[in-house]
Parts: sequence; C-alpha cells; structure tokens
Amino acid sequence: MTSTIETRAVPSPGAAAQPTREVRVAVIGTGFAGLAMGIKLRERGETDFVLLERADDVGGTWRDNTYPGAACDVQSHLYSYSFAPNPDWGRSYSEQPEIQAYLQRTAARYGVREHCVFGADVTAARWDEGERRWHVTTTAGNFRARVLISAAGALADPTYPAIPGIESFEGTVMHSARWDSSHDISGEKVAVIGTGASAIQVVPAIQPQVESITVYQRTPAWVVPRTDHPVKPWARRLYRLLPGLQRAIRGVLYAFREFLVLGMAKQRMFLKPVGALAKAHLERQVRDPKLREALTPDYTIGCKRILISNDYFPAVAAPNAELVTAGIAEIRPRSIVSEDGIERPTDTLVLATGFHVTDLPIAEKICGREGRTLAEVWEEGMVTNRSAAVAGFPNMFLLVGPNVGVGHTSMVYMIESQVSYVDDALRTMETEDLAVLETTPEAQAAWRELIAEKSKGTVWLAGGCASWYLDKHGHNSTLWPDFTFRFRKLTKQLDRENYVGVPAGAPASTEEAA
Amino acid sequence: MTATLTRTVCKRTAAVTTPDGAQLHATVEGAENAPVTVVLAHGWTLSQAAWDDVSTLLSDRVAEGALRLVRYDQRGHGRSTWGDTEITIDQLGNDLAEVIDQLVPAGPIVLGGHSMGGMTIMCLAAARPELFGDRVLGVALVATSAGDLTSDPRSAGGRMAKVRPGMLSALLAGARVLEKLRNLVPPTSPRHQKMVRGLLYGADATDEMVLEGAKIMHASTLRSFFEFMPALGDHDKREELAALSRVPVEIFVGDSDKLTPERHARHLAEVLPEARLHRAERTGHMVTQERPQLVVDGLLRLVREASGGGSAN
Repeated sequence: MTSTIETRAVPSPGAAAQPTREVRVAVIGTGFAGLAMGIKLRERGETDFVLLERADDVGGTWRDNTYPGAACDVQSHLYSYSFAPNPDWGRSYSEQPEIQAYLQRTAARYGVREHCVFGADVTAARWDEGERRWHVTTTAGNFRARVLISAAGALADPTYPAIPGIESFEGTVMHSARWDSSHDISGEKVAVIGTGASAIQVVPAIQPQVESITVYQRTPAWVVPRTDHPVKPWARRLYRLLPGLQRAIRGVLYAFREFLVLGMAKQRMFLKPVGALAKAHLERQVRDPKLREALTPDYTIGCKRILISNDYFPAVAAPNAELVTAGIAEIRPRSIVSEDGIERPTDTLVLATGFHVTDLPIAEKICGREGRTLAEVWEEGMVTNRSAAVAGFPNMFLLVGPNVGVGHTSMVYMIESQVSYVDDALRTMETEDLAVLETTPEAQAAWRELIAEKSKGTVWLAGGCASWYLDKHGHNSTLWPDFTFRFRKLTKQLDRENYVGVPAGAPASTEEAA
Repeated sequence: MTATLTRTVCKRTAAVTTPDGAQLHATVEGAENAPVTVVLAHGWTLSQAAWDDVSTLLSDRVAEGALRLVRYDQRGHGRSTWGDTEITIDQLGNDLAEVIDQLVPAGPIVLGGHSMGGMTIMCLAAARPELFGDRVLGVALVATSAGDLTSDPRSAGGRMAKVRPGMLSALLAGARVLEKLRNLVPPTSPRHQKMVRGLLYGADATDEMVLEGAKIMHASTLRSFFEFMPALGDHDKREELAALSRVPVEIFVGDSDKLTPERHARHLAEVLPEARLHRAERTGHMVTQERPQLVVDGLLRLVREASGGGSAN
C-alpha cells in the first residue's frame, strides 16, 4: 500500500529528479471509474493520457478490500462494464478476487494498462491559470495536463475511529480495507468494530476460525437474504454462446433493482415488503430474544444501506460470538472496555468502520483557479454541476464524486453514465477548439437545488437514521436520489449552456512560457 | 456511564468443543485469579439466560474479585450445537466435565444446577467422582431430581412418560410444522403465559417473570424438547450420589413445583444427610427466577466455604 501521508509541499526525492511530463489528460485512480475513463479515451483515439495510481496495481476499492469474505452486493451480470460482459462469472454475486481479476483483465484487454503510472500517489494538483494547465505532483513524478479527471472514488480512504486509548492497543489493528493476510487470526480473540457492509462480510468469514468474536454494534443494519449461488458450467457456455441472453438478464436485474427506488425515493409504502422480508429473515435465523432485539433496527429500511447476507446472523449467534451494543468507552493494551464497564480481552481489532465518503480526501489535494482547494470550496457542502464539474476548477471533472452514489444497484452504471458525460465534454473542447471549459456557479446552484428537491421526503433523509449518505449538515451529498436512468438522461450530453469556454487563441490573464 | 468505569469486569465468550464435535456457548465473567469459580448449568428447554437474575445479584461479588462466574448453554440449547452423540443426561455430565477442564482447569469450583442442570451435576458426580472434594467444593441443586421423574402419573413427568418413543420421532419429524404452529401463540399472548405460569411458576411470580421465562423457552427448539424428553425419563442417579456427600450441598425446591415436585428434593436430602434443604413457599419450578436471592445466598455460602471462609452463617 502506498502511503498517503506524504506532505503536500515536499515532493518525494524521486519526483524531484524527474522532469515534468506533459500529457493531454491525467486521470487519478484506476478503479472501475478510472479504467472506464481510460478505455473511453482510447476508444476516441486519445493516446496522450496517464492513469495515476498510488498502488502497484489497478482495481481501486476491489484491489484494496481483500478482507476474508469480501464480495459484491450486486449481481455480477449487472456489476460489470456494459461493454465488457464476462460470461465466466463463477458466482451470481462475485467475490473480491474474481472482480479484481476481471478489472485486471479488462485493463489489459483494452490497452489502458500501459497508460497506468503505478506508485503515483497524487499529493497535489494545481490549476495554473497562465499556462491553462493542471500541475499534478505525485510520488512518482510530476505531470502537466490540459484536463484533470479525478476517479479517486468514495470508498478509497478508510476512516479510523477516534476511540480513547486506541493507540495504546498492543494487539493487531486492521482496517477491513487494509487487511493484512500475513497475520493469522485463527485461535485469537477478535473484536470487530462496525456493522456495515464490510463487517457483515468479514464476521461470518472469520468467525469459524477464531477463538471468539465480539462485534461492537452502534446501529443494527437491515439485512435481507442473499440469493448467491455458483453459476453452472452449462450456463456459462450459454452466456458465451448467446451474449444477448446475458444482456437480457442484466436488464432484468437492473429493472428489478430500480423498483427499490420507488420505495426509497417515491412512495415509502413500497418498502414495506422489503422490511417484512428482512424481519422474517432475522426471526428465522436468530432465536435468542435478546439478540434478536439487539439486531432489530429502529429506523425505516433503506435509510442506511440495505445489506444482504445469509451467514451474518448465524455468525453473531454462533457459540463463540458476542454482540455488544453498549458503546466503547476505551481501549486498553490488551482489551476493550464498553460503556457498561465490561472489559473483554482482545488479541486483534478489526475496524470495519468505513471510508471518508462525505469528506473526499482527494478534495484536499486539488487546488483551483483561486488558490483554494476543492475541500475549502466545499466547506459548506459539496457543490457541483452534474456531479462532475466545479466552478473555479477549469478543465477538471469528477467521477464517483458527490451525488452519484447508489445503494440499491450497480455503481458501474453510474460510472458509465459519468464517463460518457466527460467524454462529451472532451469532444466539445475539441470541436470548439477550447483551451478552457468551466462550469458556472449558477449551474451548480441549480444542480444542488435539484438534488435537494429530489431528496426531500426520501427514506435517506426521513427514515430516522444517521448514515454516511448525509454530510455534517444533514444534506444528501453522496446519493443519487432518483432512478439511475434519470441520471443517465441528465448526463447523456454535455449541458453546454452551463459551461463557459475559452477558445485556444484567447489570451490568458498571466501569460507564461508554456 | 463513565462512573461505572472506575470498576470494570472482565468478560469473555468461549465455545467449548466437546470430543463429539458439539460446541458449547459459554460466558466467563470475573478475574482469572478469583479464589472460586461458580459454574452454572441450566434446565431443559432453557438457556444460560435462565441464570440472568442470579448473575445480576452476583455481579457485585464478581466485580470485587470474590468469584468468577461461568455460564454455558447445554448442548442443543441456546447457542450451543448438538454434536454427534445420542442425547442422554450422562452426556450432559460429560459436557460439564469438558467445560470445567477447558475453562476452569485449576482452582476451587462451586457448581449450581437448575432442574436438568442439577441432574447434569449428578451425572458428573457419577462419572468423575474424583473431582468432588478435590476441585468441586460445593454444589447447589435447584428444583431437580435424582431420578424416577415419571412414577407419579399426575405430575408433568408422569404425563410425559405416556408419550411413546415412536410418537416422539413422529413429533420430531413434524417439528418444522409444529414450530410454525408454536409461533402462532407467541410468549406475549395471554394464553401462552397462562400455560407457562400454570406449569412452571408459583403464586408469587410476577407477569414479567413469566414473560421472561416464556421468551427463553420459546427461543429453544422443539427438537430440544423432544430429544431430551426421553433422556430425562431415563435419568436415574439415585444410587450414584456418593461423590456429592463429600462436599457441602444446598438443595432448593419450590412448594408448588409440578415438574420436580418436593418429594424429589426430600429424597436428595435423605441420601445427602449433610445437605441443607431450602423449601420456598408459593414457588414453582423456576426458583432461579422466582427466588433468585435465596439461590444467591446459598451459592455465596458455598463460595465462602470453598474459599476456606468457614461454614455457613
């Protein structure tokens, strides 16, 4: 794992020795979004671009989350690129290694791997108004780009809880997204903090091999059954033979999942059967009345991400497991003390505590025309036009930024929508021969208004829970609060009227040697 | 909240694996170096939660370091699995031996058993007599019996005995359906509580007690009901209690106990003349819930004796 604690002002010694490399487009990140962008660039004949990757391989979230049991909550037929179907998925819901292999394979097949610069952790990206270029400083050298595209993603940088005494813990501490597979946890007393999507996968995966497992829960999640099954060899042959069939299944899965939006964003009534399903699932799997009560959420289903699992409940109800609902008071060198005064000896602490989602770390590194970082500009909330462009940040586009998150369906669908939008922006710059393309504050205000309007009354805002979907102001800054096909429609083409273009010939305010 | 942190109690969860592969869910509370460990075994179709009231009353002593508390779910009950052995009460005695060997390998022990848990202790005494007087230094037998549960035709045990083995397996086969039917009358329904109260509780039991007990029992499976039923009928340790006579024993019985009526406790007191018999009035089978303080006082007397603190009072 590449360190991200690099200070911004001081480039690494290796970087200083290298000359600045000129490229037309610099993309940050090589996860699903970065690779899709790279593939799109190649498709339109662009070869002058780099994909800056802080690690030593492509894959992003799917490269980093190697904890036992890591898998996708969306069926692989849907959770894959539309242009690169994979008839060989081994399971209906793929596990991390298979998704990672798919990304590696796809990157190689579409020729974007050679555009990747590995070990390139972006420490700063600064817009130079005179040169009309982005100056990107990385741990693997400096780059100067006409266009900067951040595909850094929302589930990239782990959050570590600030629990008193955590630094004094003498056992092993692992974040689920930074799993150390060389550390053998079998026979250990393991504590897991968190009950989100990562926790409910890692808990059942490690429960049988550890001496005991203690799950520290703040808020229980709604959990529905997982219809996971291996894909039969004949089915794989069929998908290979009839790609249309796989596409059709993809379409059915997509449509089926969009129905959830009806319940979450339109009419709460439609969520009732989903809630009933989750309740029945819990009652069938957990007999102990106290445990059942502790696992029953008090908010409307859908307010926080709905989780799917068949083995999470049995794992927390296992003979060697304990669910703790009292908060954590402090961590001692070899134990964890909960607020009810109970101290539990602990060998390994697994932090399944999620990611910096509403405070995207990449925003602290991108510095716009006025010398302010994106994070500073976003102090009062993340504002964008079409979730992709920000006023004051010319020639910059965001993928998987604010309000493109989805909890009910495939993120890849949203990514492909965004990639086509950015592609249209690049085409516009080319056809109009623009040196600079920048959105307007008015467009941002309108987009924010639209999001707020759509979010009103949705289960995420009115469902009675605190989730990572909402920022510190209680504003929905992460989720797309409507049908995903509506997002695709809104971002099908560049909304040219919401952008100001500066022709290539126009003089810049402070001309410098380019 | 933070005030309680001036005193913290160590707690851990452990799965005790038996030689036949059953995993017994155990909870260990208190300091490793406590002078005495109390191990509690629960009754038929219950779980370690049946000891919750007793544990709460003991918690101060646990926090002080006066004793360590081990509770576990018997196989086929609570969170524990079934294993591969035919279900007998003798097997439960072996399980208790396993719990002791793995979780309390050293130091004095006081055992407490309610109903089937008491029978479990008797089976342990028969199978591992050398433990008694050496490691086990005190025993509390609560609403339990040394055998002959089915001879009184009017008792619940007697009615139980009329169920033929063939019928049992038929019932077991239909357990899934029965389970669904059982869910139609949840513990919260008045009819359910009336039934539970009538069978298990004395006149003084509060509605909350009955509901709590009904919830614990409702959480147990019908399989544990049917599989343990013949095992309980077969239980007979009336001639094998010699090891128990070597240690202080406290016997508790409710005067309105319908499952293990008073004569069972009297019989135990006859075989163990040194034992102290406590008869609780207006009390049914659920003594640990109905008279937790009575049981706790007995356990603490045994703990004092075990830690060399002299005799009772």
